[in-house]
Amino acid sequence: MKTSSCIIGVTDMASGYRIAADIGGTFTDIACLSPDGTLTTAKTPTTPGDYAAAILTGIADVAGRLDLPVDRFDEILHASTIATNAILEGKGARTALVTTEGFRDVLEMRRIRVPRLYEPLYRKPAPLVPRRLRLEVPERLGPRGEVIRELDTEAVRAVADALAAHEVEAVAICFLHSYANPQHEMAVEQILRETLPEGTFICASHDVLPEIREYERTSTTVVNAYIGPVVSRYLCALQIRLRDAGVGGRLLMMQSSGGLLDIDRVIERPATVVESGPAAGVVGAARLGGKAGHGDVITFDMGGTTAKASLIEGGRLVSTDEYEVGGGISMSSALAKGGGYALRLPVIDVSEVGAGGGSIVRIDAGGALKVGPDSAGAVPGPACYDAGGTDATVTDANVVLGYLNPTALAGGSVPINARLSREAIERSVCEPLDRDLLDAAWGIHRLANSAMMRAVKAVSTYRGRDPRDFALFAFGGNGGIHAAALARELGMAKVIVPPGAGVFSAVGLLFTDHEVSRSNTFGRTLGPDRALPVDMAATFKRLEDTVRAELGTSPQLRLTWRAGLRYRGQGFELSIDIERGELDDASLPAIRAAFEAEHRRSYGHDLGDHAIEIVTLRAIGTIPPNGPQTIRDAGKPVVGTSGPSAEARAAYFGPDHGLLETPVVTRAHLSEAPRAGPLIVEEYEGTTIVPPDCTALRDAHGNIVIALASRASQ
Amino acid sequence: MSFNVDPILLEVFKNGFEAVADEMALILMRTAHSPIVRDAMDFSTALCDAQGENLAQGLTTPMHLGSFRDAMRHLMEEYAGDIHDGDVFIGNDPYLASGQHLPDIYVVKPIFHDAQIEGWAATIAHHVDVGGLVPGSNSLSAVEIHQEGLRLPFLKLRRAGVPDPVLPRVIAANVRTPDLVLGDIEAQLAAAMAGSRGLTAMIERYGAATVRAYGVALHDYAERLARAAFRELPDGVYTFEDHIDGLGDDPKPILFRLTLTIADDEVTADWAGTSPQVAGGINAPISFCKSNVYAALRSIMGADVPNCHGYTRPIHVIAPESSVLNCSYPAPCGARGITGYRIVDCVFGALAAAVPDRVSADGAGGSTLPSFSGRIDGTTFVFSECVMGVWGATSGHDGQEGVPHMASNQANVPIETIEADYPIRIERYSLAQDTGGPGFNRGGLGIVREYRVLADDVYFGVRSDKIAYPPHGLNGGSPGAPASNLLSGSGGDQVLPAMPTRAMTLGTGDLYRHVMAGGGGFGNPLDREPERVIEDMLDDRVSEAHAREAYGVVLSLNGTLDIPATTALRARMKDLPR
Repeated sequence: MKTSSCIIGVTDMASGYRIAADIGGTFTDIACLSPDGTLTTAKTPTTPGDYAAAILTGIADVAGRLDLPVDRFDEILHASTIATNAILEGKGARTALVTTEGFRDVLEMRRIRVPRLYEPLYRKPAPLVPRRLRLEVPERLGPRGEVIRELDTEAVRAVADALAAHEVEAVAICFLHSYANPQHEMAVEQILRETLPEGTFICASHDVLPEIREYERTSTTVVNAYIGPVVSRYLCALQIRLRDAGVGGRLLMMQSSGGLLDIDRVIERPATVVESGPAAGVVGAARLGGKAGHGDVITFDMGGTTAKASLIEGGRLVSTDEYEVGGGISMSSALAKGGGYALRLPVIDVSEVGAGGGSIVRIDAGGALKVGPDSAGAVPGPACYDAGGTDATVTDANVVLGYLNPTALAGGSVPINARLSREAIERSVCEPLDRDLLDAAWGIHRLANSAMMRAVKAVSTYRGRDPRDFALFAFGGNGGIHAAALARELGMAKVIVPPGAGVFSAVGLLFTDHEVSRSNTFGRTLGPDRALPVDMAATFKRLEDTVRAELGTSPQLRLTWRAGLRYRGQGFELSIDIERGELDDASLPAIRAAFEAEHRRSYGHDLGDHAIEIVTLRAIGTIPPNGPQTIRDAGKPVVGTSGPSAEARAAYFGPDHGLLETPVVTRAHLSEAPRAGPLIVEEYEGTTIVPPDCTALRDAHGNIVIALASRASQ
Repeated sequence: MSFNVDPILLEVFKNGFEAVADEMALILMRTAHSPIVRDAMDFSTALCDAQGENLAQGLTTPMHLGSFRDAMRHLMEEYAGDIHDGDVFIGNDPYLASGQHLPDIYVVKPIFHDAQIEGWAATIAHHVDVGGLVPGSNSLSAVEIHQEGLRLPFLKLRRAGVPDPVLPRVIAANVRTPDLVLGDIEAQLAAAMAGSRGLTAMIERYGAATVRAYGVALHDYAERLARAAFRELPDGVYTFEDHIDGLGDDPKPILFRLTLTIADDEVTADWAGTSPQVAGGINAPISFCKSNVYAALRSIMGADVPNCHGYTRPIHVIAPESSVLNCSYPAPCGARGITGYRIVDCVFGALAAAVPDRVSADGAGGSTLPSFSGRIDGTTFVFSECVMGVWGATSGHDGQEGVPHMASNQANVPIETIEADYPIRIERYSLAQDTGGPGFNRGGLGIVREYRVLADDVYFGVRSDKIAYPPHGLNGGSPGAPASNLLSGSGGDQVLPAMPTRAMTLGTGDLYRHVMAGGGGFGNPLDREPERVIEDMLDDRVSEAHAREAYGVVLSLNGTLDIPATTALRARMKDLPR
């Protein structure tokens, strides 16, 4: 691996201040944790083309408010959609693939399935490497790594020359069965490094993903190569900008799996940071929810275009490796894959639906009301933004219902024209359906909830979990507006809206562990086999060695082992923890029992003494962040703005409750004593609605905790 | 109906029903044991109303889309008065259970609330083997259904929650891979239970009467959308003919003749003139014929139409009795998938005359289905897979490559898992140069897949098509290259027909090579911009010779476009009769 030589200046003495920056499509969110646990946040417009500018503006803003020199931060933590954008916009590197003779089209043919049924005019996404840059070399391995055909090194040299002539910036190497024997890939990698210009990004599949299934491994390796140079350039430039601005500190980036990684490692393995933003929010929910005594939560992150859900059980995240990047909306559990590019690395299992504040409302040919997936986006945005948008959106409905401030959002920075919301809804819903305005807006609000319910169900009931056993942990710009109503639909009893909910991905970064994990195909049957526990332990220890080498030593290093198991014949694994240490015959029944329990929980049954296969082993190393493990509630707004816009306004809560004069308060107005709804909690970065038959309190960690009355039938 | 439908609640219920069907499908896929279910996803799940009409169907296999109705009706009539809470039914027979073919087994559970049937959780899955003449139970040479394996009328797999002790043993004794079949039935059961829980939760939330009322409203809504879509089509009578190559070494073409009538907001598909049923396992029961017509018409309706029974109301399907599309007992049906593909292709062929911009030229005609079986270390193995797929070009773009047939959204099986699990080595999996039908937009390239056998005494069979009747082009586009089957072994090379019916046994080192047909082109190839032809040459999709012969594109010695030579050649070619 070639690594960047850019190093950011590290200050000598730790200050205890850590700062995080999450770059979104519209806003760059900044959050800083002081040594005493105080949270300070900022929101600045994203600066496409020079993302560092917004980060620097935000850092300067926060540092100014803390009266802290910008070189005093110990760590700068970062989440960004740079990698995803490179794929979505087709702006990755000019990438080649070197593969086994006879198989250059594996990448293009994929797994055949398409994500859209009944569409004769469907077009597949173009492969990230065009056919002319997919080159074959004579060689062949068998499934146990045995050499069936020797590597033709002369042919490899010819390929290397051809790649040099094509002026490729990145090369992925993937041979059949290389997960079982890396020798041929290593030999090719060496020849390419000798031949191609320095700075060419080269990676091999046995290193990126040593796991069986050629399309997924090839695609993952190609994605890694395709985004490698882009991520590398971006991070180097960011380092330089930070250094030139005098910002000190170690720079780390969020991985899709929910752990932070030093950026020189990210540069080697960029495919691990593809879903960094969504991961940060979920990790924050796990950490802060856990500290506040809520270990079992479903996160609900509602933004302008989509809503995302993820499940946290016993404080632990659920990850998946059945993921595609660039496929638009990600339903982790979606049956129909093929819309994006397979990326088989651990990703926090996030389910997404196309319903957000900007989702457009319309009536279809059959007379039904539809919400999304089309979105008015940030530009022109909802009708009430008065920026040229005329379609009614979910946000317009929330303005009409009185939930959103009728004059301005984000502390006055986004002016609102409520008249335009009313007109848009009257035009697109009231007239065609012959409904009055409040009724129509209430309908839109509920419909958005019904779409979002599917995201929550996809991470809970679809996996054998009952949402009623969980609290709903809401964040994102619109999370607090819909959370209580959504929870009610799902029979959930509690909603938590954390401090900094509107910049929560940035907040989550502050509570994320440093993490490295490595896996390998194992491919053995669980049975009375003396060698099995010994071989398992040996593989785990080998993976652990790699993890230690990459993560560095720390007294707080925590190592865990996980295994992917399935019944023989099944095609999908369930992941279970393996107790770390010497494994022996006695360990095997425990492993079987843990798998059977997980199978029962996920699918409702087990298969008795049916053979079980151990498909993959994974070692994970984590180091917890330095400093406070939770937010100290300062009892004041985290952003220094004035209080709410009004003391009360009329808000509509459905036909049962009607239009109610509702107090408008700030988070600071709430205390540990439950206060009865209805309430509107207005903050700089978001609004939280507490319906009439609920209560709300502010706990010791600054969370708004809404308790729902038991379900009333409608 | 006096009931006043709230369009908002309607959408809420639509989302809810679909979520239940999707959850069922996900659980079935993740717990299934056989590659054909878990990787190829040849299964479907449905949440049905109390009348057995599907409210929602998991997004898996389009050709199953209309398949539940007839089977559910059969079951409900046969068991009227004898359906109890906790019962689970199983069945597969085309004649005794209105099924599809014997490998497709239904597992169906009534959903009770307050001692009333409020709905059904229904699943269908293609099982890897149900006995019969050949492993995989898809023999082309069967002449009656009794040779095709285990026939199950609808029987109770569970009685009031109590598992039947006998049935699993009967099934296990009659199939070649009892672990896989019983494992997949278990997966279907898990999905049915999830469906039952899902609908029950909705009933508890909204009340049974409301759920029922919105089920009715959803069917009506889907019907409205379907009628609105049909109303936009130009009225007329559109006819289309196509063929399946036929069976055996001396194949006799099997004729499909479709008269598609679009009259205002209704569509009738009349198959009068189609070949009589044949003495081979490719006959379709009428339920399967209907199911495929529904799927084809569904695909010109737009994405929002719910996959519930209501949308089929304006569609009428007529097929002659005892024809290959409406077979009668005891006609065999084991390998009838190919017939389903041709049904869909014919509907698109007829629609091309009405709405040429909304369909593609003909594609590779569905999956090629090779199967290999034998014994290794005393254990039987059966490996079969669906090789797909190629589409024809459309008015807007070149044909897609590496895609499933429209009727069956299946996945391939990873080469590395095939080689780890079976004595087979895949030696090539790639696109075949020059096989795409020339056109202004080019048809997709055919796909080559080569299998090297690594054991002796391996039984081999294959079902393919499009050797005699390659995929047609549209609007002046040319047909794609025909498919081919080649067997190479110690005895030399042997060209196989599309659907061999004689027994074939392979030994170590023998190689089977399949080339799938290329898709048809759209528009005159001589109008294709030379730059796009050159792009195809850079990607090895088109050879220099093919570029000249099919597209009239000539390169100069340095590899760039020879403009005068191309202009002159194209002018000459345009004058030639095509």
